[in-house]
Amino acid sequence: MIHWAQGVGEDWAGVLAELTRAFELSRAAAQAEVSFVYVVRQDDLLGRRGAGNAMVAAGLLSAARTAALEGARKGWTANVVAYDEDDDPSSVQTWAQRLLEAGDVTGELVRVGPGHVGKTLA
Amino acid sequence: MNGVIVVTGAARGIGRAIAEKVASTGPITVIGVDIAPELALSEDITPVQVDLTSPDGPSVVRETVQAAGVPLIGLVNNAGITRDARLVNMTDEDFAAVLEVNLGAAYRLSSELAPSMSDGGAIVNIASRAYLGNFGQFNYSMSKGAVVGLTRALALSLAPGIRVNAVAPGLISSEMSLAIPEEIRDKMVAAIPLHRMGTPEEVANTVWWLLTPLSSYITGEVIVVGGGRSLS
Repeated sequence: MIHWAQGVGEDWAGVLAELTRAFELSRAAAQAEVSFVYVVRQDDLLGRRGAGNAMVAAGLLSAARTAALEGARKGWTANVVAYDEDDDPSSVQTWAQRLLEAGDVTGELVRVGPGHVGKTLA
Repeated sequence: MNGVIVVTGAARGIGRAIAEKVASTGPITVIGVDIAPELALSEDITPVQVDLTSPDGPSVVRETVQAAGVPLIGLVNNAGITRDARLVNMTDEDFAAVLEVNLGAAYRLSSELAPSMSDGGAIVNIASRAYLGNFGQFNYSMSKGAVVGLTRALALSLAPGIRVNAVAPGLISSEMSLAIPEEIRDKMVAAIPLHRMGTPEEVANTVWWLLTPLSSYITGEVIVVGGGRSLS
């Protein structure tokens, strides 16, 4: 399962709805013992596009790390791909697919593009 | 420093230690949110009982701040709960409850109070070391990671007047950690390089430092108070 985080505004209800959607998809994947990848924007991990998007992106990263611990016992993985605005979506999708198929990489953040260099560790 | 500092989740544990630390340091009025009046420990702590997840909860806190008649100089978003379960077994209700209290309350109260905060003020959000991942805490970990995201976004949007940072406690001696079965807790302590649980006062000291001009060039950061557990 590859889940692309949707942009949200500054309204709390929208933030909660997006995080809840990710939770429901992740729980279904975990119950089916299927690996998953969240896709977020690097800008959002740094808080550059507002609080709503920042909460969603950083929340998904932490959730993936926790899910990775749980999936490791069952053989499924949870990872995150972060991309820059100018990145080719097909390249991002390729990295997400690689992580789904890798099987031995979990709880990891893969950042496509150079936007994270020199910035805080997520 | 002179003004008002609001501390949520101040009835017990880390929040209580923060409120007491702030109240002990000088001419600052502390508004402790979630404190029943009979629990107020110092006359410098003004207790407010309010449900921060209710639509009017944050405005009640703002009105209490205004009634104090001195500038708002600090906010500590500490209120938090756990509803642990493995992801496969986590209920919709437990997911939503943790997100509403740990994240929604912090977001809404920050949004309510930041416009009236003085330049030079500071917000400290209490995250958790669980934002790095913790078995059986999908909801809690997500909420605390999101608090880190909120911290970064607010640090950018409220600069240069207001600094915003997060503190991520590890295993701290509190009601929440003492609810962990002793055998499991002992194993957790054994994995901490400093070989002990932290105290609420040690977290409070770090929060206090972030509230004061001693940390005047720091914003958007997460400080882990975890005895080195993130390395072991």
